[in-house]
Amino acid sequence: MVARGLLHALRGYAFTVAGIAIGVAGVVALGAMAERIVAFIDGGDRFVLGQISVAGRGMGMGAGFTAGGLLPAAKVEAIRKVDGVAGVQPQVMLPLNPSTSQFMTLTQEIVLGFDLSVPMPNRFYATLPVRDGRFLREGDRKRTVVGASFAASHGLHRGATLVLEGQRYEVVGVLERMMTAPDRFVIVSIADAREQWVAKDPMLRTLLASGAAALRADDLNTGVAVGWRAGEDPDVLAHRIREQVPGVNVQIPSELSALLRSSTAFFSALLVGIGALAFVIGGLSLANTVAAAVFERIRDFGVKRALGATDWQLSGEVLAEALAVTVSGGALGVGFAIALGSSIDRWAQRSGQELFLFSPRLLAGAIVFSLALGTAAAAYAALRIVRLSPAEAIRRGNAA
Amino acid sequence: MPPEPALRARGLVKRFPAPAGPSIEILRGVDLEVGPGDMVVIEGPSGSGKSTLLNVLGLLEEPEAGEIWFGDRAVSRLSRSARSRERGRWLGFVFQAFLLLPSLTAIENVLLAARYVGRAGGDVRRRAELLLERLGVAHRRDHYPAQLSGGEQQRVAFCRAILNDPPLLLADEPTGNLDDDNGAVILAGLRDRARAGGAVVVVSHRAEAAHDATAVFTLAGGALTRRQSVKEATR
Repeated sequence: MVARGLLHALRGYAFTVAGIAIGVAGVVALGAMAERIVAFIDGGDRFVLGQISVAGRGMGMGAGFTAGGLLPAAKVEAIRKVDGVAGVQPQVMLPLNPSTSQFMTLTQEIVLGFDLSVPMPNRFYATLPVRDGRFLREGDRKRTVVGASFAASHGLHRGATLVLEGQRYEVVGVLERMMTAPDRFVIVSIADAREQWVAKDPMLRTLLASGAAALRADDLNTGVAVGWRAGEDPDVLAHRIREQVPGVNVQIPSELSALLRSSTAFFSALLVGIGALAFVIGGLSLANTVAAAVFERIRDFGVKRALGATDWQLSGEVLAEALAVTVSGGALGVGFAIALGSSIDRWAQRSGQELFLFSPRLLAGAIVFSLALGTAAAAYAALRIVRLSPAEAIRRGNAA
Repeated sequence: MPPEPALRARGLVKRFPAPAGPSIEILRGVDLEVGPGDMVVIEGPSGSGKSTLLNVLGLLEEPEAGEIWFGDRAVSRLSRSARSRERGRWLGFVFQAFLLLPSLTAIENVLLAARYVGRAGGDVRRRAELLLERLGVAHRRDHYPAQLSGGEQQRVAFCRAILNDPPLLLADEPTGNLDDDNGAVILAGLRDRARAGGAVVVVSHRAEAAHDATAVFTLAGGALTRRQSVKEATR
């Protein structure tokens, strides 16, 4: 009986709940896209603020993030000796596909070679979290750990084989989704990365074959990640490296962070715009739906007044009903947005993308937002209704 | 000493704004007194203000002037919530359009009258079931208004009106939407209320209503005029 009554009551509000759900779903979906971009920007920012990146001076397009040229072993050694440096990890960073079109995108897939004999100096990424399998160890060859998006788009899992420059690599681990650049990384040992570099770069191959340059294997670095001692100001240390080690590109962490922020300023502005628009449209839609649902029942409220309902009793009932409808609609909307976003993400992951991030703060915010607007709209409607005489409320209800 | 009237009204004035020009005065100083056991019928042409008078008497609408007493209490100038409380404990309404809440079952509609006067529990429920049984709609107790005929809806509405055993029952064209048989059931119910000592005011076109009335008034031009009821004529 109770269940039947509940079903009957819900059926009466079905369209209202559906209307609210659609509005909330829109806000949540747009918010989740904004959260995804924020996570991407924040992740990159966190990475660059966690280390000093030093690259060889040059224009090597293959150098990826550090955007430099060759950083020979002597320079690496010189950097290591600068006062305040706690650790230096040689790295090779290469685009997986060195075509211009791939390189110019924000979603490039990168091969990253780590010197695994030294710990990762990045303060915020001392280790990269592995979802499945393990991270690379010193001495690993022809083994790789891949980012979550890369794994999804290439159909890789632990134990799978990945062919890079004609060589077969065993996938020993897949990283957790980090919502930033490492999601598209292919991590190998630095020795393997150096082999790939030579294989990818005809000029380097020619140079090495000619014997014109006295290069050893450990000279083939695109850059190093530098860590600092406790209490050291990373910006000051970066300037010190720049002064004491000539012929290298030193990224000042705060400058790079600011550069990243300014380069993503458009996205940030876009997000603010989308968010504001979503909140205004979704909010107006929700408030209008709730108020309309309350006014639709104006005759019932008039009857209740006639039966003796006081202002408080009636307002309480209006608010309770409106909140129940809002919460139902809000929860349904959140569920709908998550279902829709997850479906789209499953499709997008085939190309290594993830468009939505349903963060707890977004979901909590959506529910609070719905409740606040639902309450405000219901309070407004209740105030209007209790001010009407019962006869007028019944008349208007009959006329509607 | 005669019993205190259940309802007294003195000098009631009610105006409605007109689309253009001066407002329309629907009630022009109406006086009325209804005692326990009285069944007062108010007649009048359509648009004469009968329903408005009933709304004003039932505190559903505020008069521009005049005073209303329930028993010995002046109630027409009370606050909104105080008027609601007075309605809850002193009045029962029967409307022409039944006005049952569509989302509630028949028994829930009846019990609604108890909710706002703070009554609850098994006794109230038992009384509601008893009333539904007396009115012949007990088998419909768990049905929603949309599943009931007009006659059944009005019987349920009548049960709601008398659940709290109010001293005063106001009925606005209670048989207006009913067939003869159902109309007779409702009129009998109103008559029984008066016989049991309740005060009843009915706005009705039906001759049968006036037949049982202790007093019959005609509302025309905003004023009530008493005419001889059948009971008075045959006394």
